[in-house]
Amino acid sequence: MIHTGSDLDLTLEPDVCVVGSGPGGAMVASRLSRAGARVVVLEEGGYHTKDEFDMQEATAYPRLYQDRGNRATADLSVLVLQGRAVGGGTVVNWTTSYRTPDSVLEYWRRTEGLSLTPQILKPHFLEVERRLGIQKVDYEDTNPNNRAIHDGCTKLGWQVDTVQRNVRGCLRTGYCGMGCPVDAKQSAALTYLPDAVAAGAEVYANCRVEKIERSGKRATSVIGSFLRPGTQIATGKTVRVRPRAVVVSGGAINSPALLLRSGIAEGPVGKKTWLHPVVAVGAFYDQRIEGFYGAPQSVASHHFAHRKEGAGFFVEAAPVHPMLASIAFPGFGASLRSQMALMPNVCATLALMIDGFDPGENGGTVTLRDGGGPRLDYPFTDRMYECFRAGMKAMAQIHLANGAREIVTFHEQSLQIRSEADLAQIEAAPMGPNRVSVFTAHQMGGCRMGADPSRSVVDPQLRHHAMDNLFVVDGSVFPTSLGVNPMESIYGIASWASDHVRAAVA
Amino acid sequence: MPETRRGVLKKTLGGAALLAAAGAVPLALRKTKLREAPAGLKFFTAAEYSIWAAVADRILVEEKPSGAPTAAQLDLAAKADAFLAPLPEADRKDLKQLLALFDNALFSLVQGGPPRTFTGMSPEEQDAHLRRWETSRLAIQRTGYQAMKRLCCALYFSAPAAYASVGYPGPPYELVKSVLGARR
Repeated sequence: MIHTGSDLDLTLEPDVCVVGSGPGGAMVASRLSRAGARVVVLEEGGYHTKDEFDMQEATAYPRLYQDRGNRATADLSVLVLQGRAVGGGTVVNWTTSYRTPDSVLEYWRRTEGLSLTPQILKPHFLEVERRLGIQKVDYEDTNPNNRAIHDGCTKLGWQVDTVQRNVRGCLRTGYCGMGCPVDAKQSAALTYLPDAVAAGAEVYANCRVEKIERSGKRATSVIGSFLRPGTQIATGKTVRVRPRAVVVSGGAINSPALLLRSGIAEGPVGKKTWLHPVVAVGAFYDQRIEGFYGAPQSVASHHFAHRKEGAGFFVEAAPVHPMLASIAFPGFGASLRSQMALMPNVCATLALMIDGFDPGENGGTVTLRDGGGPRLDYPFTDRMYECFRAGMKAMAQIHLANGAREIVTFHEQSLQIRSEADLAQIEAAPMGPNRVSVFTAHQMGGCRMGADPSRSVVDPQLRHHAMDNLFVVDGSVFPTSLGVNPMESIYGIASWASDHVRAAVA
Repeated sequence: MPETRRGVLKKTLGGAALLAAAGAVPLALRKTKLREAPAGLKFFTAAEYSIWAAVADRILVEEKPSGAPTAAQLDLAAKADAFLAPLPEADRKDLKQLLALFDNALFSLVQGGPPRTFTGMSPEEQDAHLRRWETSRLAIQRTGYQAMKRLCCALYFSAPAAYASVGYPGPPYELVKSVLGARR
């Protein structure tokens, strides 16, 4: 069952303890439970259901996101949107579902000695797509915010397509990011976690894992503290889990932090964290767009995913709700107010940088702050700034082609682009941390998988290089970013990895 | 090695303290202009509440009043107090240092602003002060500006009372209710 706390200090002795209940943890819990293993899942976030999803940003972000919606790099230059709930990011993501691109798997095989191939993963992806109802969106079902990308790219002759989404009976309200109010989104909380529970798994929500105790090469205990629901305040009750194997599935920021906090610091733990750093533009149209309604993401262009000039990027839409929009728009006072007043006529478009494919690139680093929580740094490189500029230009071109009246960038002093001639401003605009709004909704790496322990934290079967009974199964194991939204990759690779975890407790 | 937020703040504050020691103590000690703070603040002192309220006023000011609620009407400083209270201790310390620096008359003077606290400046001077922080060469000032701007905006524009000002009709509750009702 799913517990939301405990009145007692607990000691549990399952076969497997899974830390985190996002796509990685939920999949492993489901696969192992159904195979007969006794599984305990510990999740720091709360357990929330559709009746609590009130479609209000003021409720959703503090309740369902890490650091109450305030997670960011240490210098605040990158705002980190990352889920925190039973079901993890799958409760709040925008449902876009892609298999891991063949070219990425090939790169990982070549650089990290991995054995993953499209053929190996195919049955896992097919099963995930069946269970989650993943289907391609029809063009007719896209909202104007997404359709602008489709139509603009088509006019330019650029690659563009609708995406696949994990929904059943979607009303296209537009509130995926605040928890689906009608259970259309097939999150882990509605699929793999109930599957695990039906097979006997015990899920503890509001339980923060403080550390993993080790004895040499074995993880011996997982120590958790119960929190008062909706807070970070410990109730004083704890859980000690003594499993035969531990699966760390806390995501690309919390997993490396847990390993560091536990003194399991062998290898490049916390290094090479990838974010798909996002720059955005707002495009103002004469007609109403109403980007607050409709499926938030239904179109993507990968036309620039394989650029020769630097990092590649891909283009998608973002929902336009007041809080997120106001944080992204630059400036304050009257200028901010005048842009916000036109919100119903705005398209919000994102360019997501594909980081991790330059051999010299370091990406972000997770370390520990005072008190043991994660600290994330992600210094931008010149290569990244070049990619930011290229992404902004491409997005502006898409909207110019589609008939936007004006496109504004999110520099500290925003640029107004009304014609091709204005694109040159983007080259000249100052760049730097907090000189342009940067976001991330895709966190990857930090516990990368690979054959070489000096370059990776877990081996090609996701077992920790230095630990016999500890696995990491989440987006943190990706050696690079993906160039596509990561949820389905995490599910698929977790499904494949479950067999290796199972062998460890057989 | 990237500098830590706290490290940079300490250096910046250290710089201000050095200048203060060099003979400008009266300016550095110039006091925050206080507003009446509500009882029961959990994070802000009365001075910090007043600084935040003054910042929120300028972040959310309109060119001409449109009927939208003001920052003061929504008491954004009290909302910020409630939001910030549960933060980890390190973040709480950072924010308090940030607010002290932001309202420091000497630091304003050093940066080419008027020798007044932010709370003691005219509205025009306050806007110029915010812009100096927004576009500063010092990364820590841009970070500080973003922290204040984002939280003010998040608290204001996530309030249903502000929806009409941005043409947002709000969530489609009727649609959701009708579908859930039909499913039941």
